Amino acid sequence: MSFQDVANSTLLYLLVIFGLLYIIAFASVFLIQSYKRCLELGIDKKTIYKVIKSTLIFTIVPSIAIVIGFYSLATVFGIPWPWWRLSVLGSVAYELMAADMAAKGMGYNSIALMAEANDPQVFGAVMFVMSIGILGGFLVLLPFAKKMTTGLMEARERKDNTWGIVMTSCFMLTLIAVFFPLMIFDNPVSAATLFTSAFIAFSLGYIAKRFRLLWLNDFILALTLILAMVASVGWSNLLL
Amino acid sequence: MEKSNESYLRWVHRFGRTGTTILIIYILMIPTIICAIYDIFPPISSVILGGIGVFALFIPIGIAEVLSYTPLLGSSCYLTFTTGNVLNLKLPCVINAMKIANVEPNTPEGDAISTVAVALSSILTILIIALGVILLVPLQPLLQTDSVQQATTYMLPALFGGLFLGFLGKGEGEYIVKRKSTAIILPVLLVSLAAKLGILKSGLEGVAIIVMLPITLLSARILWKKGVIEVEKRR
Repeated sequence: MSFQDVANSTLLYLLVIFGLLYIIAFASVFLIQSYKRCLELGIDKKTIYKVIKSTLIFTIVPSIAIVIGFYSLATVFGIPWPWWRLSVLGSVAYELMAADMAAKGMGYNSIALMAEANDPQVFGAVMFVMSIGILGGFLVLLPFAKKMTTGLMEARERKDNTWGIVMTSCFMLTLIAVFFPLMIFDNPVSAATLFTSAFIAFSLGYIAKRFRLLWLNDFILALTLILAMVASVGWSNLLL
Repeated sequence: MEKSNESYLRWVHRFGRTGTTILIIYILMIPTIICAIYDIFPPISSVILGGIGVFALFIPIGIAEVLSYTPLLGSSCYLTFTTGNVLNLKLPCVINAMKIANVEPNTPEGDAISTVAVALSSILTILIIALGVILLVPLQPLLQTDSVQQATTYMLPALFGGLFLGFLGKGEGEYIVKRKSTAIILPVLLVSLAAKLGILKSGLEGVAIIVMLPITLLSARILWKKGVIEVEKRR
């Protein structure tokens, strides 16, 4: 059997489909229980439906971007493996980098040359490397997630001391402090797209408030993403 | 902590941990089964040679990402990290959901609404990718045009500009944290310097967050004690 025969084998398809069904079941239980929990906490159904609608609409564009990444990976690794990797745990950036590093580590100059060599054992090695490499986070998640999240919740609940509220804001603030400069200094298109996105979100928020278009609030993130991505193409032509 | 909250949290973490552990085992079983059935087990040396760079880089990054994003994700962290695409999809979904529901992270409400958003988003993404697999032949040429590829390259800045803008303002929820942005003046300067000098590049955000978080916390603590950062109940 060759690299491509194994990469597109029926068995791999079946294993991937079974795994995806498991994830859908896992997510569905979370969905049902957290929905019930929202109602228990007094969040009204109208608000939950607004969240549901906005989440579904927003998810479409990034998911299409994942499909684009899938098409890039599928040319080398066949269909089922990238399908699995991008549906579970991975991201396009990680998969491409990990595959490239694995190929070079095994003595090939590129992923394409590795696939061309058509050695099924190499496909086996890549599957192991890509799978193990992304599991690092679970070494912390499984033992410490409960402690981290409940500890922060308790700190925030202490009404006599407002430090808990300030402290929990710090996580989002740190995200901004890291991502904004990195995107601004990355390249001019990235910086221009970031500011365009902020401007679009601000403008849409203003329009929603000024003209009392409350429904617009649910679509701001999705619209901002699409419009700013379109703008990035214009910025690329202008600045690069 | 309220009793019903305690029992929900006990359930959600137990379920999350069990489900995640089963998935990890399954993730490792797939290459094992394929290699065993087709008799293509690679020599350990080639896994080590191919993996050494990947493990050295991505295992610490994975750990840093969990430490950085879990405080915002709450108990949706299990599903978020098992379904991946954290930065480009799950984290924005969580922030957006909390904004729409007018709740904050690290509150029971924020925790529950985040899980609704992540669960839905995960299911929809799996379905869209499946559709992409089914429609591979007609869709591939359409989605791989230069413009589409270019637009997806800048997806993160296109998302983050709008996403984080609201947070620097008054924010949502029961309380307003006044002048909170002052806490990140020093981290912004340090990250800018590191980015300008080429020490810090995209892909290492998780590590940078872990390094910057204590600086933000310390700055916020000092500014809060001095009365620069203040907390007010929203009217």
